Amino acid sequence: MEAEVVEAELVLPSYLSFKRVQMYEKYPKGQARGRHWKHLKQIIQAENYQNYPPDEPNYVNIESPPSMHPCKRICDITGYEAPYHDPRTNLRYANTEVFKIIRSLPNEYVQRYLALRNAAIVLK
Amino acid sequence: MPFISNIQRQSDFNLIDSNTPIVIDNGASYFRIGWAGESEPRVIFRNIVQRPRHKVTGETVTIVGDHDPALLKYFDCTRSGPRSAFDSNVVYQFETMEYILDFGFDRMGATTEIDHPVLITECVCNPVQSRCKMAELLFETYGVPSIAFGVDVAFSYKYNQQQGVCAKDGLALCPGFNTTHVIPFVDGEPVYEGCCRTNIGGFHVTNQLKQLLSLKYPYHLARFTWEKVEDLKMEHCYIAQDYASEVRLFQNGAMEAEGKTRYWQLPWVPPPTDEPPSEEEIARKAAIKEKQGQRLREMAEAKRSSKINELENELHGLEFLLHQLEQVEESEVPPFLAETGYVTKQEIESARNKVMQSLRKAKGEPKNEQAETEKDDLATSEKYSLINIPDDMLSEEQLNEKKKQLSLKSMAEGRQRLKQKRYEEELERERKQQLEEEKRLENPELYLEQLHARYKDLSERVDQQKRLKTNGGSSNGNNLSSGIGRGERLNAAQRERMRLLTTAAFDRGKGEDTFGARDEDWQLYKLMSKDYSNDDDEEPDEDEVELARISSRLQDLDPTFIPKLDAGTTQPAEVPRFRPLTKEDFQIVLGVERFRCPEILFNPNWIGVDQVGLDEMAGVSIRRLPYKDESLEERLTSSILVTGGSSLFPGIVERLEAGIRMIRPCGSPINIVRALDPVMDAWRGAATFASDPQFHMQTFSRLDYYEKGEDWLRKYQLRHTL
Repeated sequence: MEAEVVEAELVLPSYLSFKRVQMYEKYPKGQARGRHWKHLKQIIQAENYQNYPPDEPNYVNIESPPSMHPCKRICDITGYEAPYHDPRTNLRYANTEVFKIIRSLPNEYVQRYLALRNAAIVLK
Repeated sequence: MPFISNIQRQSDFNLIDSNTPIVIDNGASYFRIGWAGESEPRVIFRNIVQRPRHKVTGETVTIVGDHDPALLKYFDCTRSGPRSAFDSNVVYQFETMEYILDFGFDRMGATTEIDHPVLITECVCNPVQSRCKMAELLFETYGVPSIAFGVDVAFSYKYNQQQGVCAKDGLALCPGFNTTHVIPFVDGEPVYEGCCRTNIGGFHVTNQLKQLLSLKYPYHLARFTWEKVEDLKMEHCYIAQDYASEVRLFQNGAMEAEGKTRYWQLPWVPPPTDEPPSEEEIARKAAIKEKQGQRLREMAEAKRSSKINELENELHGLEFLLHQLEQVEESEVPPFLAETGYVTKQEIESARNKVMQSLRKAKGEPKNEQAETEKDDLATSEKYSLINIPDDMLSEEQLNEKKKQLSLKSMAEGRQRLKQKRYEEELERERKQQLEEEKRLENPELYLEQLHARYKDLSERVDQQKRLKTNGGSSNGNNLSSGIGRGERLNAAQRERMRLLTTAAFDRGKGEDTFGARDEDWQLYKLMSKDYSNDDDEEPDEDEVELARISSRLQDLDPTFIPKLDAGTTQPAEVPRFRPLTKEDFQIVLGVERFRCPEILFNPNWIGVDQVGLDEMAGVSIRRLPYKDESLEERLTSSILVTGGSSLFPGIVERLEAGIRMIRPCGSPINIVRALDPVMDAWRGAATFASDPQFHMQTFSRLDYYEKGEDWLRKYQLRHTL
């Protein structure tokens, strides 16, 4: 390993004296372990929150509700207020110039703009 | 860069009393670790792990936090990006977490087992699975004697309360990295029943900015690294007091908007401008050119003279041969000629003629055409000698010869006729022109007017024809989306073709099939073929020819006349023309983006998160409180603290005040303050809390953990006031 890398102590050493169990003992090399963690969704599922009183705060019920205010619509390209909506691309736009732009956009870009507000078509 | 990692290895680990707790603020963006009672954390780094491969040795190494990118050049980072142990704000990958803790304790200077109590932060209402795993990791792997879990927002609020920034009843608003929390405090204790969380934070703001910029400037995509965009966000983003009016400034191009626009100039070297060459240079170049031309001319001259010489020699030889031949006896001819390679005298003569001709050409003498045609005429009778003799008087060979002659003659005659026709056409055209010229001279204005009218008429007709040909394109009004999609209509020619195909497919077999009886029937296949176009493109329409003639005439006569461009066929000029790149092409303009991106904290549905924004969260939180007490609500709103990394945006306090005033009853007191240090206060609060002599009452040991079980750990909650 290069001298400057060693000097900066960039790399975490594999043996650390303060640990009871070393990383390489816990996860031996060359052994397939599969996926050994749960994603947040799975963690929440496993928590069984439905078995506890609903007034007790937990990770799920502290989430905020949807907004009561009407949603402000902004132009997907420029960020201006958008009174219009293009039925072909589903993009919102502010004026004719932006409309020209969105009609000339390739579909990939349209989808990326839509993905910004989680409205893109996702094929599963 | 506002936040700089601090990863110097500490040397005093072993000097510190084993009762002193270690305090860890395990935030989703930064990991901070230090000693209880101190004012600053000892070690700070980004909470990420990379596992790249060393380029030389090929071994996989672990790198925690962000480092000097110059050192990372020795590693192949393309296989795996930086990984975080967090899913949203919950730790879920404990292998990654272990690397991070390893690095943190290592930099704290630990050499033996960690014999200190540990206070570590977690998110509000952390799922018990995550909490268990964290406790297990600390107990089993590091040998920590006891642990306490606390909420970062609460520590931050308590710290600011101690500093006199906020009261014991109040609200803590914390826009963090992945999530935003609002927690009400009553009597100095967080009331988690009243808290709420929106899954939006600084990560989303940076991501939004990054995506918007890379969509706006696809050519500079490589410039928008996460770190760079994060810096841009920290430096330039702000929160608008009123988004609608702020954005209108930009839309109307006001002077104020110009002042608020920031430009990021990417490194750009102007292309070398070619200066006009000096007089001397021009003269020199001309001289060189002249010289080269001279040389070429000389070479050509030499070649020509040598060729002439050669030809003359040949001619002389042939003439000499002929001369000699005259003197030779008839019977001696064949043996005499055998030496020369010629067979008959005629052959020699024709060769001489040929040489003479090429010699004349080489010398550049004009061919005497008249003489030639005369000669042709003379030769005609000779050339076509067999034509006028009846067939039965000729031998087989002669018959063949006659056929050849006949075809040659008809070809020559055809040429002649064509020439004649062309000549006549020329005459006709000249006559017409003269006529028009006369008309013009008679009454120039009227003439011009007529010409214009005719031009207009014709151009309209031509346009219409074109439209018919490419029907659909311009008639449905959106030329902009070029290319025929699924829903687009076919043009007239294509429609006709489809009709033919369908009739061909269904009509056949009904009654008597007479297809092919007439020759025209076979034309159908030509019409059906895919690349058949309805009009013969080779020869343009009469109308078009006429149009071109008139427009050229008009251009001659009328200086104000501008020929109409082919509007029907050219696409509207949306296609970027090639032009040299300028400084502006390497400029990243941050205009609306400066406040559009942080605005998602207030309008999460702009990025598709259907939850309330930061200002409304305060109202939701107050509504959720179990006790309905107006004086308490007033006390809460008069002490609102904003903390967390994303509260650093300028203008957030004013905007929150406006927003919260809207959802609270008229006249209620509203007082919003920013935390002293929104980023570091959580750790400082935790360090202060852990230095309290009562702290050990709130920790739990490994024994407690195994005896009391998971359900107890689920209910475990730190008390901030003892």
